[in-house]
Amino acid sequence: MKKQFAVLAILIIFVFSIPVYAGAPMATVEANVKKVLDVLRDPKLKAPSAKKAKKEKLRVIYKAMFDEVEFSKRTLALNWPKLTQDQQKEFVDLFEQVLEKAYIDKILDYSNEKVDFYKEDMKKDTQAEIQTKVVTASKEIPIFYRVLLKDGQWKVFDVVVENVSLVQNYRTQFNEILANKSPEQLLEILRNKVKEH
Amino acid sequence: MKSYLSLTVLFVFLAMGCASGQRTSTAVVTQPGHDPNPVLLVADSGQQAADAQVKPKTQSGNDDNFNYDDDTFKEERIEIADPIEPFNRAMYHFNDKLYFWALKPVAQGYKFVVPEPARISVKNFFFNLAFPVRFLSCMLQADFNGAATEFGRFGINTIWGIGGLLDPSSNKEIDLQKQETDLGQTLGVYGVGHGFYIVWPVLGPSSPRDSVDIAGDYFLYPVSYVYPWYAGIGVRSYEIINGTSLRIGDYESLQEAAIDPYVAVRDFYIQYRLKKVKARKARSLIFKVEDASSPAADKALPNN
Repeated sequence: MKKQFAVLAILIIFVFSIPVYAGAPMATVEANVKKVLDVLRDPKLKAPSAKKAKKEKLRVIYKAMFDEVEFSKRTLALNWPKLTQDQQKEFVDLFEQVLEKAYIDKILDYSNEKVDFYKEDMKKDTQAEIQTKVVTASKEIPIFYRVLLKDGQWKVFDVVVENVSLVQNYRTQFNEILANKSPEQLLEILRNKVKEH
Repeated sequence: MKSYLSLTVLFVFLAMGCASGQRTSTAVVTQPGHDPNPVLLVADSGQQAADAQVKPKTQSGNDDNFNYDDDTFKEERIEIADPIEPFNRAMYHFNDKLYFWALKPVAQGYKFVVPEPARISVKNFFFNLAFPVRFLSCMLQADFNGAATEFGRFGINTIWGIGGLLDPSSNKEIDLQKQETDLGQTLGVYGVGHGFYIVWPVLGPSSPRDSVDIAGDYFLYPVSYVYPWYAGIGVRSYEIINGTSLRIGDYESLQEAAIDPYVAVRDFYIQYRLKKVKARKARSLIFKVEDASSPAADKALPNN
């Protein structure tokens, strides 16, 4: 009796775990986006003075959602090994700051927009593209998240907005800069970019 | 005016003719399973390609993640040649100033006065009016489904959408979605490459191929036939201001995020157009038999 019960239990676990596994990338991204929206819509954080607290909360979510090393690596691509380990570290850090500075205000502006998760495109076992659209009053903006399974977690390594891949966009820019300049000069440009605001 | 335009068209075709040196760098792809250490990165020159072949092996000791053979998204590394970069950069700065000094202040004032729903209706109206170029493009692309959709949208939105101010066709019941296509994409579907990058004053990023669209737009857009000519320009300007008022902030954040805004915009443009052409090709009855990726990429990427 006990044995039968155990078999049944295992069977149930298998039956339920398969669909959960198939939907894992989408569920992860969706949960993270939902967390972001919760912070943005939190009535306690509505006051302008709470902007800093909001940013702090968003940073925590961002860290859990993105694989920033993978992001940097893919942006630099062939140029990545040309940087020393210290330079790589600094690059990841600076690049993250540049992105944060550029997009945080835009993200903080969001409030009533609806995010529609409509497709999970499994490219292979460890990579997927989650297709979403942000629906505003005047338009729909397609935003795709490309995620990668690493250490049991699905993390975003590229964001495709209106069919334009961010990683590729930055890769073109960095490529062009590194064609004439040294990695140290690139870091200097990034340092200035971060300071500038 | 007309003779000037046909001259432009002629120039564009000529320019495309000499743009044979298109530098669409494509991925160096090895078929999965063939090579245990395939290299999938774009290389501009043979030297870099050779570098790339070596690197993953030498790097594997300290950097185990550098191997990109799992990169399923590799097919999109496409660049555009930019032989007239100094001119383009100058035009980019001109357009940049035009936006910040003229267009944006005007659009902001307009935005302050006119509520958003009204501005969206105006946008719908102009979009509906530009129906001929979309319909013709769909036909020329052998996307008859798209052409029928556009035709239906035009009828429904003109009659029930109060001359195109509303967009009842897009709602769930009717579900006729916009076919945002143009003659530049049509040429792209035929396999015509971009040629090279051009930034036109006022009109912005383009290429010889997509410049055909500027001409096509002129002849197929009813506003061009508004008489007298300055009234037509007035209507056009109003359309641009209205469109800008709905997009204020987009260009600014792009600029803020970019390390080199000129290169960022160029890449945005080329990526955006490429995906559009790909999507159009997939819908075409005749042209989708060929690989849906760009012609240059076809040979290099048989499996994608």
